[in-house]
Amino acid sequence: MQVPEEFLVLPLVTENWQMLPFDSCLWTSELTQVRWSRSGPEYRDPQIDKGYYRKELGKTQHVKAAPTALALKPSSVFENPLISTFTNMMMKGGNKVLARSLMTHTLADVKRKQFEKYHAASVEEQVTREHNPYTIFHQALKNCEPVTGLVPILKGGHFYQVPVPLANQWHYFLAMEWMIIEYWEKKYRRVLMPEKLSYELLQAFHNKDPVIPRKHDMYKMAEAEQVLAHYTDSRWHRKDGAGCSAC
Amino acid sequence: TMLKGMTRLISRVHKLDPGRLLHTGTQAPQNLAAHLDDQVSSERRRAISRTSENDPAKHEQQHEGQHYNIPLSDLKALFPQGLPPRYVKQVKTFNEACLMVRKPALELLHHLKNTNFAHPAVRYVLYGEKGTGKTLSLCHIIHFCAKQDWLVLHIPDAHLWVKNCRDLMQSTYNKQRFDQPLEASIWLKNFKTANERFLSQIKTQEKYVWNKRESTEQGSPLGEVVEQGMTRVRSATDAVGIVLKELKRQSSLGTFRLLVAVDGVNALWGKTTLKREDKSPIAPEELALIYNLRKVVRNDWNGGAIVLTLSQTGSLFKPRKAWLPQELLGKEGFDALDPFIPILVSNYNPKEFESCLQYYLENSWLQHEKAHTEEGKRELLFLSNSNPGQLERLCACL
Repeated sequence: MQVPEEFLVLPLVTENWQMLPFDSCLWTSELTQVRWSRSGPEYRDPQIDKGYYRKELGKTQHVKAAPTALALKPSSVFENPLISTFTNMMMKGGNKVLARSLMTHTLADVKRKQFEKYHAASVEEQVTREHNPYTIFHQALKNCEPVTGLVPILKGGHFYQVPVPLANQWHYFLAMEWMIIEYWEKKYRRVLMPEKLSYELLQAFHNKDPVIPRKHDMYKMAEAEQVLAHYTDSRWHRKDGAGCSAC
Repeated sequence: TMLKGMTRLISRVHKLDPGRLLHTGTQAPQNLAAHLDDQVSSERRRAISRTSENDPAKHEQQHEGQHYNIPLSDLKALFPQGLPPRYVKQVKTFNEACLMVRKPALELLHHLKNTNFAHPAVRYVLYGEKGTGKTLSLCHIIHFCAKQDWLVLHIPDAHLWVKNCRDLMQSTYNKQRFDQPLEASIWLKNFKTANERFLSQIKTQEKYVWNKRESTEQGSPLGEVVEQGMTRVRSATDAVGIVLKELKRQSSLGTFRLLVAVDGVNALWGKTTLKREDKSPIAPEELALIYNLRKVVRNDWNGGAIVLTLSQTGSLFKPRKAWLPQELLGKEGFDALDPFIPILVSNYNPKEFESCLQYYLENSWLQHEKAHTEEGKRELLFLSNSNPGQLERLCACL
């Protein structure tokens, strides 16, 4: 499927190089070295493309032993990075098997509900109804994504909540987190996760989910604190971080 | 002429490389080509996956791998119970009930068509690994027999009778045995729905006294016994026993043909999880329902056939990987059922797999973009190992 652009600019974490976490005051858009490298700079990244080896090999060069993020790319055709992240967030106690089965049941439930409504709907609705659970999932998260968020910044000994444009991964992280927490905290006694989550996803797809007012609340708070927006200036100019000593 | 040329070109392209889009020069032929492309591919799909032959009696080798349609009204009448729950969900989702014609069912149909009703009833045992389609093959056979006007005695899952029984009472007929009123009354209700027309025709051959005030005279229709069991729940188990005994006795007379279809027959000879008040375990033969069912499954009557299915899924105290008859039935069960005709139900062969996928694509059940491609199909084949149950679960979330 067409991978959305946001995923193509995911920070490619190589074995030694990493982008620092967002809310660090030392945050820049540069890469910094976080671990010692096992292989020196003259070593190349491993070659995973089989076609390369079928052609005639030219000069050989030493190749790194450990795989990079490119090599760890999943081999399944049906893989979807957003769904995998959501599954990881649903996971509790490392029980990936359960989390994955819940995810598959959720997607199946979404599809079944749409099919049932299709049979009951009129002809005009039948044409416009979306059956693909993956498009519904992506659209639902897009509807819930906040664009600006509040970040605590230390200034003059006090923490101020400053509105700031959020980075890409924070958009969907917050949307997913709110959706899961919505289930964990506000379910009726014995409602199963796939059932409630499928209902929530469909509601969010139609812009009716309770998560969406939460996003609007965030925007309202951001507007209220608009005056403090200039507090972020210190973060962009002072790379040494002398002014901001939080984190 | 341009249309003919286009269709020939498209069919040739399909033969070469069905995945690629057709690239043509100008706009109008491209739209036309896309439209014809869709039509041709959907027709191709129908040709592979569906057949218009909806009568199971006429299913032959050439229909193998194709789906045939069962009208929903028939489905409710024939199968008030007994369909696997995932299949019921699928029927509800697609608004149609389609069953695949497969080799084990065709083999059984051939045997049933050539049964000699003067000889003792032959036992056929459908066995196979989990998720290969034993229950649905049984349903195919039941559909055939119902169409041929046989009396179908269908026990949907014998495992339900040996576990999780809330109200177990001492039998009124025989003090050593136990009654299960709830299970018996549910079964009687479903039996009545399935075989309405036979209940008035068949007459009882002896008098049955229920208690001091109620009794059923000799020669009264079997429907009365069923009614008695449904209204007086305490005597439901005895009513079931009477029904089984009468049917077995009268099938030899030749007025009707009897099909005994039991799903999960290994429950009859295993262990139960039920306990007496003093916490000692109950053996299956101490349950009146199981005792009577064992008598029916013996081949000392003629005028019909017995089709049985082994099932590990609901079984008690059997390892998960066990699927062979000897493993699931145990020595006692195997000796009781011996001699029988074993019929292996295996995973899909490539033709059946393709047909199943085409059926899903036709109903637009496979929504993922990659599911249409060759890589997607190969991945599904690998992940499911052509197992029908696994394939259904995988396709549900794609």
